Amino acid sequence: MLRAVTNIYTYRELIVTLALTDIATRYKQAYLGVVWAILKPLALMLIFTLVRSFVGIDTGDIPYPVMVFAALMPWIFFQESASQGVNSVVAKAALIRKIYFPREVLPLVAMSTKLVELGISVVILVGLMAWYRIAPTATIWWAPLIISYAMIATLVVSLFGSAVNVYYRDMGQALPVMLSLFMYASPVIYPLALVKEKLLEQQAAGEWSNIFYTIYTLNPLAGIIDSFQGCLLRNEVPDISVILPGLLVTLILLPLSYLYFKRAEAYFADVI
Amino acid sequence: MNVIEVKHLTKEYQLGALTTIKDSLLNTLKRLQGKPVTERKLFKALEDINFTIEKGEVVGIIGTNGAGKSTLLKHLARITTPTSGEVIVSGSVAPLIEVGAGFVKELTGRENIYLNCSIMGMTRKDIDAKIDSIIEFAELEEFIDTPVKRYSSGMTVRLGFSIATSIDADILIVDEVLAVGDLAFQRKCFDRMEDIIRNKGKTVLLVSHNIRQVDRICSRVIHLKEGRVVLDADASEGCESFYRESNDKITQDAEKGGHSNIQSTGELELIDVKILNNEGNEISEIDSGGPLTARVRFKLLKPFEFLELYVGTHRSDFLYLSVANSKDYLSKDSYEAGEYEIEYCLPSFPLSPGVYSIRFAALTNTGRFVFNGESLKTFFIRAEPGRLMNPAWNILDLKADMRLIG
Repeated sequence: MLRAVTNIYTYRELIVTLALTDIATRYKQAYLGVVWAILKPLALMLIFTLVRSFVGIDTGDIPYPVMVFAALMPWIFFQESASQGVNSVVAKAALIRKIYFPREVLPLVAMSTKLVELGISVVILVGLMAWYRIAPTATIWWAPLIISYAMIATLVVSLFGSAVNVYYRDMGQALPVMLSLFMYASPVIYPLALVKEKLLEQQAAGEWSNIFYTIYTLNPLAGIIDSFQGCLLRNEVPDISVILPGLLVTLILLPLSYLYFKRAEAYFADVI
Repeated sequence: MNVIEVKHLTKEYQLGALTTIKDSLLNTLKRLQGKPVTERKLFKALEDINFTIEKGEVVGIIGTNGAGKSTLLKHLARITTPTSGEVIVSGSVAPLIEVGAGFVKELTGRENIYLNCSIMGMTRKDIDAKIDSIIEFAELEEFIDTPVKRYSSGMTVRLGFSIATSIDADILIVDEVLAVGDLAFQRKCFDRMEDIIRNKGKTVLLVSHNIRQVDRICSRVIHLKEGRVVLDADASEGCESFYRESNDKITQDAEKGGHSNIQSTGELELIDVKILNNEGNEISEIDSGGPLTARVRFKLLKPFEFLELYVGTHRSDFLYLSVANSKDYLSKDSYEAGEYEIEYCLPSFPLSPGVYSIRFAALTNTGRFVFNGESLKTFFIRAEPGRLMNPAWNILDLKADMRLIG
């Protein structure tokens, strides 16, 4: 693992250059340019707000659009960087056959480009917060930490996924589909508070309620989204009981995912 | 000091298509149950390769297509991993295995320089320092801020070569990329390669089919054949070994022979075609520039009042090289039915090494083909050791004189 970190450090300039290249080529001949990056969370926010006017989702005293946008930011970052990360190695097949560089650079690059897009959508969030007159508080300093956690969670998926994808392209097709379903298992459309209330307070699933709740929080995104919203909008420090199960899962899977990637990497050039 | 050490390197590839998820799951299941699994056939691209290369050596790797040259280079460049054995490379490697592999078409030339150099491990500072000389060498000052997708192919290769040779690596790996661009640029490429090799003391590995180039640049040659090292020796001995292999290949091709290509009305029957030496013995190989004597025996099934006979030679790709017409050489032009033998003699057949064939045709005075045959007898010319072998360089192997005047 230590070698992994030094590798990333040695090749940091390559990561930056490749990421800039990716961003540049994506928007180079597009008139709207980087605006496309924020279109997706904005559109989803509008749709969810519309849906919510029929079904009614309680978000306390925080306006639903801000709430959902703050959930969509880490979610879309995770979903897109994982989906792109999974295809990142195969997409650079020509390079892999010709030149050596640590291949984990590629999923990292996919993630870095999405990190830039996440940065752009911060502008929208600031606008929304100003519109609804929500002042940021001291807990805002948790946000970068939470995003770093989201980055690690992303890497768990994209390292393993991109290595499998070299051998079986099914992965690159299946993962985006699976992730878009996974959104409903994460507190994006609805706040985590609702899940908590149903399961912990109302014991909606009978004696299984507490177990279901723990299973729900095993999903790292549950903790990430909830604490991201919390520190930005509700002046809350992340709730350790929500974060911990997902964090444990992530920290256990990260080395496994990385080792699998490194083992598969040796034969990428032969198989790709 | 050894910069490259290759110990018992073996590389196997699986033949056939990649297995599906279903197959590999089934295989895993069978393995768990201890049952035999369905394995795909293996192909040994490299087998038990051993050598070491010292700092500053310039080594040519030669061999016919499929000998494993590129696979070997891929191991040295760390692109792939050995099935067994070890490859130890100390120092940074700049692979020139196909110039311009890392170009992104949407980006400008300048952006591509930054991209490619950083893929090769250069820092931004180093690139800033070198970018002007890279652009200048590629002769692209005018076009450097234009996207590479609008470049001509020559411009792309020039830029690629310029980038690749600017990388400050300890070991340079060059796979048949020296000849890029027009003649003037090729000259520049050669000069730069020689400069890198002679003056900068770098370790260079060169793969080429151009044996003359290898002989000129390299101090040592590793000759690969079917994944094994046939010879690891100094340049002249190594090139010689390659000539021998090429000759064997020519012999094989000649033995296989071309299938004769005959159109006949049935009025003339070919009996046999022979190539003879001075002593009158049948041979299948002649010296370049030596005499060629071919004899064609045939049988006429009916008398002809007028018949023109042609005997000639052609290359294996049916380029007609020479011909003689009976009208010009023989006073006889009417033939009774029966057997005849005609001799075709060239005092000198000055062609470059390769495979050649005899053709024979018979025409009536109305221009009707009674018989027309190609590849009737195949013979070959061997390369003399140490002489130019690249078939693209010459067709004729003419004796010449060259003097330095003034």
